[in-house]
Amino acid sequence: MPSTPIVRIRELTRVFRQGEINVTALDRISLDIAEGEFLTLMGPSGSGKSTLLHIIAGIDRPTSGDCIVQEHNIAALDESALADWRNQNVGFVFQTFNLIPVLTAYENVELPLLLTRLGARERRRLVSAALEMVGLADRAKHLPKQLSGGQEQRVAIARALVTDPKLVVADEPTGNLDSHSAADVLEILRTLSREAGKTVIMVTHDPKAAAYGSRSIHLEKGELVGA
Amino acid sequence: MTVSGFIIKNAFRNKRRAALCVLSVAVSLFLLVSLLVVLNEFTNPPEDVGASLRIAVRSKVSLATPLPLRQRAQILKVPGVEALTALTFFGGLYRGEENTYFAQFGMEPEQLEKVFGEARMPREQLEAWIANRTSCIVGADTAKRYDVKLGDKFPLVGQIYPVDLDLTVAGIYKGTTDDRNVFFHQKYLDELLGDPGTVGMWWVKARSAEDVPAVIDGINAAFANTSAEVLAETERAFQMSFISMWANIKVLISSICTVVVFALVLVSASTMSMAIRERLRELSILKAIGFRRHELFAFILAESFGLSAVGFLLGAGGAWLLYGSIDAATLTAGLFPSLEVTPRILGTAALVAAVLGIVSSLAPALAVARLSVVEGLKTLD
Repeated sequence: MPSTPIVRIRELTRVFRQGEINVTALDRISLDIAEGEFLTLMGPSGSGKSTLLHIIAGIDRPTSGDCIVQEHNIAALDESALADWRNQNVGFVFQTFNLIPVLTAYENVELPLLLTRLGARERRRLVSAALEMVGLADRAKHLPKQLSGGQEQRVAIARALVTDPKLVVADEPTGNLDSHSAADVLEILRTLSREAGKTVIMVTHDPKAAAYGSRSIHLEKGELVGA
Repeated sequence: MTVSGFIIKNAFRNKRRAALCVLSVAVSLFLLVSLLVVLNEFTNPPEDVGASLRIAVRSKVSLATPLPLRQRAQILKVPGVEALTALTFFGGLYRGEENTYFAQFGMEPEQLEKVFGEARMPREQLEAWIANRTSCIVGADTAKRYDVKLGDKFPLVGQIYPVDLDLTVAGIYKGTTDDRNVFFHQKYLDELLGDPGTVGMWWVKARSAEDVPAVIDGINAAFANTSAEVLAETERAFQMSFISMWANIKVLISSICTVVVFALVLVSASTMSMAIRERLRELSILKAIGFRRHELFAFILAESFGLSAVGFLLGAGGAWLLYGSIDAATLTAGLFPSLEVTPRILGTAALVAAVLGIVSSLAPALAVARLSVVEGLKTLD
């Protein structure tokens, strides 16, 4: 396993306030994730695995503790800086694909690049390469509704990769797919980790999906189990 | 793909709703422009080029009270007066028809060119009118409406005066702001009435704009404390005194305009809120991949603004085209000689559309700005 930590988590706590009740989603978690690692987060519903993923990806903030990703304490970044950081360093893959329905596969993949200063030609090169990588170059002009679930998820992966982020976070990426499509998607994520050196963090309920990872950790009631 | 292309695709992703939203804005702005045009016609009647030099002289008692003929000589002596004519409103019905839509006045034909110089007609027609005591000249709009030609009989049945006028058309004029009026010889009316020695009003032409205040003061002073005191005022002021009678109409139209704009804001804000609410998860994804609050705000604002702009082009542009091409006098049965969509009205409509675009995007934009990515993502499951 590669040894350089890209993510360092120390005493991380996340408490949600629901009415008068405080719910502790993460309770003083400490964890290192190495660069190039394919880490799977497992656990029952409500165990805090998605919350942990969201904090690492910079779309949620911890109540206390540190989350250092690529030497950035992301909890300390303001909203605008955090948005820039996400654009440059994190690729997102969600269970429900979340493609923009009025945009073609090509345009969906191009979307994160609109925030960069890249010219049209360079954007075209990167989008084509990303679609090529997920095997959907021939579906570039298709709208999401014209694609199968597996193809949609592969477009979402291409969108996550197009900015060449170090970190790819995937929240139940195979939850809405048949077994064949799920295997395709998991294979792509594993390839990203093994061959492209991306750090992939995936939340899953499925032990078969978790088997694609290089390491698996379990959460229960906001705590790491057997780490 | 460009950012603007992305915004346009989003704006028209639900084509039916976008079309209905644009139509509601367009119809409302059309209504608003129409009301403003009517309001403008009430409050800013068109003026002739010579209007700035003309002075209307009427009885101080009321418009219906006649003035003695003897005042003519005294008015001419007032320094700065270049010309004057009697002008008596006849108020008759053409061929006895109830819907006669033009006014008729007795005047001194020899003074027409001096006092109402913008009324143009061939010289021989003017001379023929001056020469024939029972003839009249008819505005081009009225002539067209009734298919009146030179030499035609033009009977007017008296309503205010107990006499009928049996006129012959000697000329057809045009060039005034209201080419509907009919003018005949004051003397002919006087004869039929048994020479009462009175006229309805005096219309005076001053030598220059600088002379106008002094002429007004001079005429008012000349008849002060007499049995026939007068009120001399500029043509503009005279018109405005008529308009003041429409005060309640103005308030009513202004109130309707306000209601239209308010309803428009509610409809648009509601539509934009719906459009954004159903896209919350997408907007959360955009946030997740790096779009910042102000960029999302700009997207929503541009979308709302764009829909309002299209509505403006259809509604206000449509009104501009429509009112520029119709015969307003016929359409309004003579109430308005023209319906002009002025640049000021178009500007007001554009301003309303712009404010609409901003206001209707504010609530959804703020909601999106406040929404955390995680909360937005929860809306999808």
